[in-house]
Amino acid sequence: MKTTPHRYACASVEHGISRRQVLGTLGGTAGFGSLLQPGIAEEIAKQQKQVCLIWLDGGISQYESWHPLPQSKFAGPFRSIKTSIPGIHFSELVPHTAKIANKISVIRTMATKDPNHSSGVPRIQRGDPVDRGVEYPYIGSAIAKLLGPANPKLPPYIWIKPGNGGFIAREAGFLGARYGTLALGDGKPPIHIHRPDAISAEADAARNALRKKANERFRTYRSASEIDAYETSYDMAQQLMERKDVFDDSELDQKDRERYGTHPLGRHILQARRLLEAGVRFIKVNSYHWDTHGDNFNMSQRLIPQVDQPFAALVNDLEARGMLDHTLVIVMSEFGRTPVINSRLGRDHWPDCWSVVMAGCGIKPGAIIGETTADGAFVNGEGYDIGHLFHTIYTLLGINPRKTHYRYKGQKLDIAHGDCEPIKEVML
Amino acid sequence: MNTPKLDIKNAWESRIIKHDRQLFRAQFSPDGRFIAAGGQDKFVHIWELEGEKKKVLDAHKTWVSSLTFDPKGNALFTADYSGVIHCWNHQKTAKPIWTIPVADSNNVRAVITTSDGKHLISAGDDGVIKVWDTTNGKQVTTMKGHQECVFSLTISPNGKFLVSGDLLGSIRQWSLDTWKPMRELNASLLHTREENFIADVGGVRSLAFSPDGKLLAAGGMKEAKSNAFCPGKPTVLIFDFESGKITNELKIKGKSDGPFNALRFLEDGTLAGHTEILHAASELTFWKTSQAEPLHSISNGSAYDLSLHPDGRQLLITTYVSGGSSGNGARKRFHEQYLPNTTNLRIFSLFSKPEGSE
Repeated sequence: MKTTPHRYACASVEHGISRRQVLGTLGGTAGFGSLLQPGIAEEIAKQQKQVCLIWLDGGISQYESWHPLPQSKFAGPFRSIKTSIPGIHFSELVPHTAKIANKISVIRTMATKDPNHSSGVPRIQRGDPVDRGVEYPYIGSAIAKLLGPANPKLPPYIWIKPGNGGFIAREAGFLGARYGTLALGDGKPPIHIHRPDAISAEADAARNALRKKANERFRTYRSASEIDAYETSYDMAQQLMERKDVFDDSELDQKDRERYGTHPLGRHILQARRLLEAGVRFIKVNSYHWDTHGDNFNMSQRLIPQVDQPFAALVNDLEARGMLDHTLVIVMSEFGRTPVINSRLGRDHWPDCWSVVMAGCGIKPGAIIGETTADGAFVNGEGYDIGHLFHTIYTLLGINPRKTHYRYKGQKLDIAHGDCEPIKEVML
Repeated sequence: MNTPKLDIKNAWESRIIKHDRQLFRAQFSPDGRFIAAGGQDKFVHIWELEGEKKKVLDAHKTWVSSLTFDPKGNALFTADYSGVIHCWNHQKTAKPIWTIPVADSNNVRAVITTSDGKHLISAGDDGVIKVWDTTNGKQVTTMKGHQECVFSLTISPNGKFLVSGDLLGSIRQWSLDTWKPMRELNASLLHTREENFIADVGGVRSLAFSPDGKLLAAGGMKEAKSNAFCPGKPTVLIFDFESGKITNELKIKGKSDGPFNALRFLEDGTLAGHTEILHAASELTFWKTSQAEPLHSISNGSAYDLSLHPDGRQLLITTYVSGGSSGNGARKRFHEQYLPNTTNLRIFSLFSKPEGSE
């Protein structure tokens, strides 16, 4: 039967390319056709850059972690400790990171715009590009689009989070559902990763062929995004079926478990390391409940060690495996926390001056940068907005944000804010 | 002068002492002549109530977390978040008499002296209760049993028992004759750890014995909704001390979302308590412990400590005061005036205001 595309169906070149094709070519000339010259795309693909974003949702306190300032009138009660860099101190709550300070960089003068979670999280994870009336992708989806999968047999963007998992399309924004993320609830693989024994491989292949045929037929009458999401999630599950080993906890060294910690964030960052080793391009690890408006100091005492220990273990492990040179690790939130301590002995939201920690992939080891007022409340001079951080990330990944653009419905769109530049002080 | 009759419902603010930083602990001296306070600015502040002289003791390197006088008022013991305890004779010298450099792995959350003044007892983050000789700061013994950090300590009116309360809601009774554990009371209602939390919330933040020693009040909050805002329902549990059973659960009248950080019994058995709330007014609450509903309440900012004057008629409340900079993000106009929040030490007289007084 001859079909006519629905008027709402996207007729873009990319929708004419199968999901397998996009994933299977490392986003090469086909995936990048509208974005980059083929030579540049191949160069990016060769570099095999990877990213692990550790997202502390709600906002980690800079005073209780990377910028303690014990003499500040806004300081918390915790001691500052020496780091592996002479003259640089962190909070006593991050002793493991203090030992690897010479391997990481800290930007202490992030100065962003949004003091609210609901708008701050999307703004920060999208890089706050100039508003062009489109919904920009989150950084993981953007990297999945711009670099494609590092290992064609694995999804390019995996999100490890507490709670439920599943395929989440919304982070892809205008890129379309196929650049969404496969979320692993509690770091566990999708429940349909295991093919039931009763179904043979041949029968399963026949089922999949039928499903794809039906999808293609359905696609001609519908906007592509929904079916893309469904198909992508299925493809990703199939890919993961081939790599059950990266989820097999029996293969984990007990010492690794202890080094990363047995709490959820420790387990999830350890799972992230295994997925990075397997070749996943971009992994986001989320931890929630960092929004310490109440009882900040008792909570910081218990929360911050939960990121300190596994982050340091990850950096050390990536270095030991020769992966740190091409793997960018970022620890951040949507903002920091207020210098002022409120009535519940909490700290509120503070976008005016906060810290981001990065390591690997061309980050200058031991670069602790940014001048603040003596009390740490404000940036001295100009701070770094999220656009600067996105320029930095893209540049480190070998993507030139000045020369690389999205093309969407005839618009040429910057991948990062046009007024910003990479933060050269933290780059080799 | 005759002691005025207790009259909670006509209590009035008789004095206010302002301080430019947040204070977390403030206590009357046993002779009633001084107030000692400590908090965020690392100093120990001594106000002389007659004449309003002020003295500052400088030795702590971080926030002062707890303090207590010895029963005679000769010595003041102050502790901090880094595990240090100093002993001061504040009337003679501004330097510590002795110092315990490591009284806890981290925060010493509570200190108290035995009724004979011979021993100082401390507890905090490492969950181990330590007993020190008040004359020289030497350790006498330790008492182990808590599985988590200890927030609160109190001693029975007969001087025979120590009671301690921890994060998990475990209240433990210890003999002050043998330093041995005696029993455990269950205040787990004051602890919350839901499946999606990444930290324990709450704990037994305050303890107080009734004057006759028959009741033990344990303060905190129940049913915390998250480990971020840490909002809960302020709650006081009343234990019949002999049976160890909870006989009542006291409530507050107005809104509040933080724990009871301090409780004090008055001589007639009325219980006073105070809690916290985020960015709003809280209240000083009084109960008859047989009734869940308050006898009386007075609107006040969030507060962290209560102290009863030895005359039994004045209650000192360590009250938070907003400096105008609280809330999310900086307001541009405040860049030059972005200041810490402050404290009012409010003294309430617990009797009818004499006619003709201002």
